[in-house]
Amino acid sequence: MYSEVERLTRVLCEPHGTPGCEEEAIAVAAKELSFCDEVITNPLGGAVGILGKRDAKRRILLDAHIDQIGMVITNIDDEGFLHVTQVGGVDRRTMPGSIVTVFGKETVHGIVCVLPPHLAHGDDKIDAVDRQAIDLGMPKEEVEKIVSIGDRAVLANPIKKLMGNRVSGTALDDRGGCACIIRAAQLIKDQELDCCVMVLCSTREEVGGQGARISTYSLEPTEALAVDVSFATQPGTSGLTATLGGGPMIGYSASLDRKMSKRLMELAKEHDIPYQLEVMGGRTGTNCDSIGISRGGVRTGLLSLPQRNMHTSAEVCDLADMENIAKLIAAYILDKEA
Amino acid sequence: MKNMELLEKLCLATGVSGEEDAVRDIILEEIKPYAERVEVTPLGNVIAWRKGRNRAEKKLMLCAHMDEVGFIINNITGEGFLKFTAVGSVRPEVLTGRSVLVNGKIPGVICAKPVHLMDGGEREKAVPVDQLAIDIGASTKEEAEQVVAIGDNACFVPFFEAVGGTVKGKALDDRAGCFVLLELMKEELEYDTCFVFSVQEEIGMRGAGTAAYVVEPDAAIILEGTTAGDIAGVSPLESVCKMGSGTAVSFMDRSTIYDRAFFKRALAIGKEKEIPCQPKTASAGMNDAGVIHTAKGGARTLTLSVPCRYIHGPAAMTAESDLEATVRLTGALMEEIAGGKL
Repeated sequence: MYSEVERLTRVLCEPHGTPGCEEEAIAVAAKELSFCDEVITNPLGGAVGILGKRDAKRRILLDAHIDQIGMVITNIDDEGFLHVTQVGGVDRRTMPGSIVTVFGKETVHGIVCVLPPHLAHGDDKIDAVDRQAIDLGMPKEEVEKIVSIGDRAVLANPIKKLMGNRVSGTALDDRGGCACIIRAAQLIKDQELDCCVMVLCSTREEVGGQGARISTYSLEPTEALAVDVSFATQPGTSGLTATLGGGPMIGYSASLDRKMSKRLMELAKEHDIPYQLEVMGGRTGTNCDSIGISRGGVRTGLLSLPQRNMHTSAEVCDLADMENIAKLIAAYILDKEA
Repeated sequence: MKNMELLEKLCLATGVSGEEDAVRDIILEEIKPYAERVEVTPLGNVIAWRKGRNRAEKKLMLCAHMDEVGFIINNITGEGFLKFTAVGSVRPEVLTGRSVLVNGKIPGVICAKPVHLMDGGEREKAVPVDQLAIDIGASTKEEAEQVVAIGDNACFVPFFEAVGGTVKGKALDDRAGCFVLLELMKEELEYDTCFVFSVQEEIGMRGAGTAAYVVEPDAAIILEGTTAGDIAGVSPLESVCKMGSGTAVSFMDRSTIYDRAFFKRALAIGKEKEIPCQPKTASAGMNDAGVIHTAKGGARTLTLSVPCRYIHGPAAMTAESDLEATVRLTGALMEEIAGGKL
């Protein structure tokens, strides 16, 4: 039932793409968008697939970000340990003892330094990311043949299927969103469109959203829908309302277009798509914040994909939510009342 | 080193203390051509007798433990999350956001509250084990109960890699020791020797003592994967032993004071035969020797260890050269002990 969105998720989550190094991920997204009338890639902005009437008045931008959080190598010490800092918001608590993938001249695995319980003493404080180090098990001379300062590393964890429709792995934030918008484009590709649809997998969201900003300027949409992950209830949290598998989270915020939010709700009801609401006070912390104020301003909506364990290598999403986001986007594009 | 495939098989197998079955099956299969007699004790220890060219002057027992640290499910929440406690000593620092395998086959992840939702203090602290939960994707307790029951085990997700002389793998403590024993068992031995693969070491050495009771050894060598603290941020004085510097020889740990003559002779053999070895520079940790040296009327013991960084975590690391040195050093020492020369 969700085999295509699962396939897209697996394929899209595979390549490395920390902010500023998204080339491989962009190439995979471009390949998956190849059914579009035109595909444009730009290392600074991302991959865009364009469908429908090029000169239509209604120009819809679909956005999800292709980059993932990770680490950058800042130094190699005399013993060959790699010292790092974060690129995007890495959760320091997930690092000690973790298996990491380092993208040097070759791709190699290391382990983040941690003392075993037998030798550990002191408190339960965990060092900041830039006070932790990666061990490749090689002397400095060997390390330097493979790794250079500026190379990237991630807590890699390929997508695996959990029970039901759930999947877990690294980079679901926001390759899961990319899978949603590409899936939405698949659902409408054989329809006669009276609008232009631009499917953007954008770069650098985790460090400020530069990819969406410059791409929106170039593409000049009249309206935009972004898909990003948001918090689902899970152990240890309080005050959250959205549940994993509960359907797309339709965003309401001062910075989002209220008519679009309402219309998305009506369309969900009409098409029997389960949905939940996500209410934010001002900015959304997603690409919507920069898309909305591009050029003379763009009406923008946000559909969030419920997720657990955000910014870890154990992110969990539900394929049913992803398919439902794609369906809701398709309904929005084909909306006769637009 | 040869036969990394065997070490890989051992590390990828699941053997949380009390449920060592998968590891035991691999070992039983592996020792079949070499063991003269095999016994599996009521708790699950494997005792294998290997014929040598001569009868031993002193009955020598070699011992390595099959079990690994892990987790046991102690509750299932209404939303289908699995609550758990640690089996053996695991720092909560290495658990947040970790991938695990429940019952050796069901993938799950240990939940981590998103960093965006935490205040400053929370971001810097490890979450205690009793506040963690495993997510296997179930939405309800009933759904989870289709595949998991209270009392089931979970372990770190299996991982193994041997590249460029460096080995990284789950459960190197103590599959490294099991590997050394298996390699020695395949050699032509000078004297009859008893090989023990023990259970339940990680929860306080509950298996090896019962094996020693059956074997009644005069002497024993315990093979371990031990704490190498030669890592970034740790002073060399506190490193205990160094990965890549050869077999670590213990004079004492938290459960045993080792036989002085054995300790000195092991280091001397290393020098004579040019086998890399190092004294362990701390009295840290404990192992099966604690219950073996006090079994029945007592036995002289020594622990020889493969230095491993990051034990009791998702993956530990060692050097192939250390494994090789440990096979050689143990081989030379066992001949002298069993031959009654020490």
